[in-house]
Amino acid sequence: MSSVKLRDVRKSFGHVEVIKGVDLDIEDKEFVVFVGPSGCGKTTLLRMIAGLETITAGNLDIGGERMNEVDPSKRGIAMVFQSYALYPHMTVRENMGFALRFARVPKDEIARQVNEAARILALDPLLDRYPKQLSGGQRQRVAIGRAIVRDPEVFLFDEPLSNLDAELRVHMRIELARLHKELKTTIVYVTHDQVEAMTLADKIVVMRDGIIEQAGRPLDLYDDPANQFVAGFIGSPKMNFLAATIVEKAAGNVTLELANHGRARLTLPLTGGTVGEAVTLGVRAEHFGEAGAGGADISLDIDVAEHLGSTSYVYASAGGEALVVEREESRHENGRSHIVVSIDPERAYLFDSQGQRIR
Amino acid sequence: MSKSLALIGRALTYLALSLAAFVSIFPFFWMVLGTTNTSADIIRGKTTPGGALVDNIIKFLNSFDIARVLFNSFLIAGLGTVLTLLVASLAGYGFEVFRSRFREKIFGGMLLMLSIPFAALMIPLFMMMASFRIINTYQAVILPGIASIFVIFYFRQATKAFPSELRDAARIDGLKEWQIFFYVYMPVMRSTYAAATIIVFMANWNSYLWPLIVLQTNEMKTLTLVVATLTAGYTPDFGVIMVGAIAATLPTLIIFFLLQRRFVEGMLGAVK
Repeated sequence: MSSVKLRDVRKSFGHVEVIKGVDLDIEDKEFVVFVGPSGCGKTTLLRMIAGLETITAGNLDIGGERMNEVDPSKRGIAMVFQSYALYPHMTVRENMGFALRFARVPKDEIARQVNEAARILALDPLLDRYPKQLSGGQRQRVAIGRAIVRDPEVFLFDEPLSNLDAELRVHMRIELARLHKELKTTIVYVTHDQVEAMTLADKIVVMRDGIIEQAGRPLDLYDDPANQFVAGFIGSPKMNFLAATIVEKAAGNVTLELANHGRARLTLPLTGGTVGEAVTLGVRAEHFGEAGAGGADISLDIDVAEHLGSTSYVYASAGGEALVVEREESRHENGRSHIVVSIDPERAYLFDSQGQRIR
Repeated sequence: MSKSLALIGRALTYLALSLAAFVSIFPFFWMVLGTTNTSADIIRGKTTPGGALVDNIIKFLNSFDIARVLFNSFLIAGLGTVLTLLVASLAGYGFEVFRSRFREKIFGGMLLMLSIPFAALMIPLFMMMASFRIINTYQAVILPGIASIFVIFYFRQATKAFPSELRDAARIDGLKEWQIFFYVYMPVMRSTYAAATIIVFMANWNSYLWPLIVLQTNEMKTLTLVVATLTAGYTPDFGVIMVGAIAATLPTLIIFFLLQRRFVEGMLGAVK
């Protein structure tokens, strides 16, 4: 059993509260990813689970036992750091066996476990090298190996891929997914890269300012964000937000007017809302339709078009609002200065002035 | 035009460097040359090697119990260096790694103490040693120096480059604070230790005033003290003094060349 339970967990540095009451259940063998912008408290929360930061208030259980005051080495966790934190004066083999040496594990047992971890990560040929003789990706694997050797119940990863180049990052991401399958342990993973979060997680926890904005399965967060922040954070490119005003209300429908887009009007089903209320319309780049396809047509000036081959992203603007539109055929639109797209009311999100989702 | 200017610039640079090299190397040259000449030749300013080397060495060795003096010097400088590095690095590490409300105030207060000249501390220190009844012992020479504020400051600055994630990793690996210090911090910071070793060993080895005050019998004297006594007579023998000066310089030179590479790394604050 290696579930992790957080109950109203708080952390203050002096008078500044950085974690403001977090409740979270991480199931056994679950891959949970904390995402959020810098300074949202995700790394602090991870360090609190690790025992590297004290918990000011609340309760932390790992494997059903309260761990608030337990020494980091006795929590059944292992951590992989952003900078890898390999001991520079030790070989790969010594780095990986270091924790066991201090746990007074017999030498041949240490050797066996180190070799086993080295096999899983294909580190065998590097065992006698020093960290400075390794590439970034290899160091990363050693750091993971060091964690595996400890045979933890919970793995903690603190932005482990952020120091790698793009290609290696994709490769290591796949490695991590494979590793999770092979090791069958609980993983808590911190990143600010929502692509990593979407591809790796069983559950994504979106944080902001020390609280959890939403936690759920990646596609649930994508399809069904609780608020404007989550909607904007999950998904790449980011969701487009358009300022709108409710101008009519009738029989379970409201009609919106898009002030920045030539007063275009859009009717969509909504029971709440009052006439005159300012709201925000959310549309994902891939959800714009062809002009005339129904809904509201808006005309945009093209700033830049990025052609990725199978698809293109058109960065456009109108009325001071910058939007991204995904187009499959826009390679044929080179040279055009503006496009007309339609907003499908069925696929549009709506947020109130507080950023809470109302549709 | 610009080519000849560059040439003149280069020439001036080399001239300045040559001058600096001459100023730094000539005393050593003079010292080595002096060991081979008689006192009279040295006073006359003879700049060629003479034949008095063996004579000077024998005279030097017979002036005092050289084995005992070297033992004293090495013990005081060696033990003093080890203890200073241990205390100062522990303090520097502690000041940098552990957060406290009072940390900067205490540290600032300590730095302020650097401005108190040793001359002002001499008498109180002597009285302190006297009250401990350790005048004329090795402890009396070594103890006052081991909590060197300068070296603590040096270690604190160097510790800023010590990655805090290494400490976190070690804590997760189950190391206690003292184990982190000895098994992770010390080996990682070995360049810093090497640089500090050179500085502290040289200071201890060359230390003159304090040993002169607390070491009162001949069998406790260090090399620096006895070389100084060679100048004391009515007719100082400069040839013998030069031999003494070489004997006193050699150990620091050897240590410097042994640790030179690490010294440079340590001065650059490199953690690799």
